[in-house]
Amino acid sequence: MVITEGLTKVFKAEGVETIALRGVSLKVERGDFITVMGPSGCGKTTLLNLLGLIDEPSAGKYYFFGQDVYSMNERQKTELRKRNIGFVFQNFNLIDDLTVYENIELPLVYLGWKKKERKERVEEVVGNMKLSHKKRLFPAQLSGGQQQRVAVARAIIAKPPLILADEPTGNLDSIHGEEVMNILGNLNKEGTTIIMVTHSQSDAAFSRKIVHLFDGQIINENITKV
Amino acid sequence: MFVNYLKIGFRILYRQRSYSLLNIIGLAMGIAVFVFIFLYVQSELRYDKHWSGSENIYRITTDYRVSENSEQIALTPFLLAEKIQNNFPEEVEYSTKIFFSDPSDVNDMSSLIYNDEVYEVPDITIGDSNVFRVFDYYFVEGNKDLSLTKPNTMVISTQVAEMIFGDEMALGKKLKTHIREYTITGVFEKRCKPSHLSFDAIVSVNSLTEKNIELLNSDWFWMNCYTYVKLKPETNYHDFENALNDFSGREIKKFVEKAKININGYTDYSLEKISNVHFNKVLLYDNPGNTDKIYLIVFAIIAGFILLTASINYINLATARSLKRAKEIGVLKVLGAVRYQLSLQYISESLILTTLAFVIALSLVELLMPQFNHLVGKDLTLVGSLFSQGGIIFGSLLVLLIFVLSIISGIFPAFVLSYLKPVNVLKGNKMIVGKGGNQQYSAGRLRKFLVTIQYIVTIGMIISTIIIYQQMMFLKKHDLGFKPENVMVINLPQDTTFNDRASEFIYELSGEESVEQVTLAGNAPGYTAGKRMFFTDDSSKIMSLNYFMVGQNYFKLLEIPLVEGRFFPEFDAKDSTVYYIINQAAADTLKMDTLIGHSLKTTFGLDGKIIGVVRNFHFSSFYKNIEPLVIAFSGKRARYALVRVKGGQHDVALAHINNVWNKYNRNQYLHYTYLDEKLTSLYNSDYKMLSLFTYFSIFVIFISSLGLYGLSSFLIEQRTKELGIRKILGGTANNILLLLVKDYLKLVLLAGIIASPLVYILMSKWLSMFAISIEISTWYFVLGILSALIIAFTTVFIRVYKVINKRPSLALSYE
Repeated sequence: MVITEGLTKVFKAEGVETIALRGVSLKVERGDFITVMGPSGCGKTTLLNLLGLIDEPSAGKYYFFGQDVYSMNERQKTELRKRNIGFVFQNFNLIDDLTVYENIELPLVYLGWKKKERKERVEEVVGNMKLSHKKRLFPAQLSGGQQQRVAVARAIIAKPPLILADEPTGNLDSIHGEEVMNILGNLNKEGTTIIMVTHSQSDAAFSRKIVHLFDGQIINENITKV
Repeated sequence: MFVNYLKIGFRILYRQRSYSLLNIIGLAMGIAVFVFIFLYVQSELRYDKHWSGSENIYRITTDYRVSENSEQIALTPFLLAEKIQNNFPEEVEYSTKIFFSDPSDVNDMSSLIYNDEVYEVPDITIGDSNVFRVFDYYFVEGNKDLSLTKPNTMVISTQVAEMIFGDEMALGKKLKTHIREYTITGVFEKRCKPSHLSFDAIVSVNSLTEKNIELLNSDWFWMNCYTYVKLKPETNYHDFENALNDFSGREIKKFVEKAKININGYTDYSLEKISNVHFNKVLLYDNPGNTDKIYLIVFAIIAGFILLTASINYINLATARSLKRAKEIGVLKVLGAVRYQLSLQYISESLILTTLAFVIALSLVELLMPQFNHLVGKDLTLVGSLFSQGGIIFGSLLVLLIFVLSIISGIFPAFVLSYLKPVNVLKGNKMIVGKGGNQQYSAGRLRKFLVTIQYIVTIGMIISTIIIYQQMMFLKKHDLGFKPENVMVINLPQDTTFNDRASEFIYELSGEESVEQVTLAGNAPGYTAGKRMFFTDDSSKIMSLNYFMVGQNYFKLLEIPLVEGRFFPEFDAKDSTVYYIINQAAADTLKMDTLIGHSLKTTFGLDGKIIGVVRNFHFSSFYKNIEPLVIAFSGKRARYALVRVKGGQHDVALAHINNVWNKYNRNQYLHYTYLDEKLTSLYNSDYKMLSLFTYFSIFVIFISSLGLYGLSSFLIEQRTKELGIRKILGGTANNILLLLVKDYLKLVLLAGIIASPLVYILMSKWLSMFAISIEISTWYFVLGILSALIIAFTTVFIRVYKVINKRPSLALSYE
């Protein structure tokens, strides 16, 4: 499903070059649940950003369902991203001025769904996520766990085959963290491919494979479940 | 402590330098425009207020009604001033008269000869010995009380004295005109004394011949002088006005009976405060340079709005910027800062900005003053204004403005942010918090309100400018009823020697290929028309009609077609009949079945015969409908020669005219105007208004765009992360552009809806000054609002464009 070859990312700031990723090659099969682990600054988030098409690599190749992603123009990439990739972030990245309902609905708006279809789909997901009674509230009125549930709901609303999760439990207490991980685990069981970045061993236990990054390079790949 | 605040203030402003710059430029431009308008309005309001005892000085105007015609004129009879002086010693300190010289004719110059050199003096008039007692000009040379007491004496302005005599004393020197020689008995300082009086030189009234004076002193209906009175402080002007009318009523009755004039009407005199003269636009024979006060009111409103707009920008940016500093305030509060300390910090930052903006603004004013003076036809100086009578007020106003602006724009962040509760800070935009900690309304709403006000002003200015432009174009293209193009109006000398040779002069002028037609004329369109009392059969039905005297070729030259009858016959010295041609409006007024051949009589016994009717033509300005006009033939005496020149051959024609002129008038310069230019100049004040509106519109657009750019920059910056999220979730560039722009466009639209009726009312009032005007079309409003929308869209787009192209990952890492 996802193949990267020699992905490299160099940041330049005021003449100083920092290499965030050095030739990362990764293969992700459909239905995989992969955890990327490593110390702070090893390039985990950079890798996720490159896989999510929200950043450009300095070198390397990226194939998504066999298509050479980096040869696409910006519009094609946006199109590919909105149809195939859902995002869950550590700090939720909800839009403060939109209600829970509107936040979840947003990807469908951009996909051009009709209002009625959107309503049906949002109601379904909101129900599944146990957020029905909160849908008219604003993010600031929710707890961290609830906010992350909203973020997950938003990520899966358009039924993307791939979900990228950047430390999804990083800002949550253990109960809420587990709740979110259970949701992700179930999604994976239903066939959604998940690539997750985390520091948490317990979260990593939900995945099938762990990729260890160090100084921008993959140093180790462990299969945790078969 | 305060120094510390300033130091921190400077650092913060430097750190946020692009915002500081936007703020300073916007504010500086706003203040500069405000100062310009202020200086202009102030200079207009200063007219005739500087005379000592100006509150007791009045001009006497005449309101007369004959049969069904009533007129209000600025002129009075010659004898009035003296009658007042002699009959009202208790009430009046001084009364004086100044002769009428056609204020509509800027070329009406007189030539003065000194040491065989000819000098041109724009405005020479005649006045009595009380002129300088009523109007206390500062005398550089001579004694103002004695200066005009003797015959053949003349008082000149310092400019004329410098032009003719340079550094030499002028007093006692002799200046010659074509008629006689005058002794200089005084030199007065005219500069810095804005007045409706424009004379550069004044000749004593007793220089006129005794016969002339006797004639003038015997006629109550010969209006040829401006009369002024300086009342004693204890005199009630209203009582005096009544007493004067009682007195003049009796005198006029005696005069009418003695002269055996059968007239059915009245003459009333009114007193007009000298400081109001400059703003009177309704009187006939008044100074065309007078200003309608409505312009000043409109300009003052614009000035206020421009300053308001610039201040709104400042406040808007300050509140937006303060959002970014909410955390800083939280930290400062934790460290023990109390509200007044926070307030002082913000106010000192504001003070730095406003002071800088003021310095830049005043430098701009100083730099652009020559251009502005050219535009408004004045000689204003910033320093001059500061040291003038109202200068202290002006200076204090500027200083006050610095403080008011600093405090207003500093107080919002200072007071509101220092009320902030940390929880609200974290929630972002919810700025104004009630005592219970509840959000009352957001600063976003306040900002939107302020931006809407800006756009009301901007759209109002744009639509007004469009309407003024359309009206001026309409006037330019409107059929005048004659062809003014390529017609030169040459001012002729007013002396008998030339008059005798006028026909010869005209004949010689026509002897060149580039000259198509030539005629003599006592009057030309656009210049002051005379008025005469006429009647047809019933002498009790007297009408006051406009009166032109023209030469043989007049109608052919101006291409005014005949509707009925015939043009004037060839001049025949043996034929003593007075022939009249009238316009269609006069034909309608006379209401006769057969006009041609009918006689038309004047009150002073001159009978004439109507021989033709010409099509109506606009002989006056478009401020008036075409009035009835009687045109008499004048074979010899004329004020002007009209010359129609072949298109594109003006230079050749001018060279020829100069040659002929010099042959006939050795000691006088040739003065001419192109008739179309003269007609355009009738609307100088409107063109001035158009230019000012255009410039002010550009300023307002610039200032409000600057404000919108700054504000949208800031708000976009606030929303950078949100935009990143939206992009990640699949938002396209268009989605995001629409999201960011639509809020502003809604505001602009709302502003357009509010501005439109206001503009409609104001512009309808302006258009009502004209006898012919455009209809205010809906399209002007659509165009105005559309332009504002495009400008606002472009402004926000420039800012949004950068964001659209930003990688979403950068946005996410933005905090």
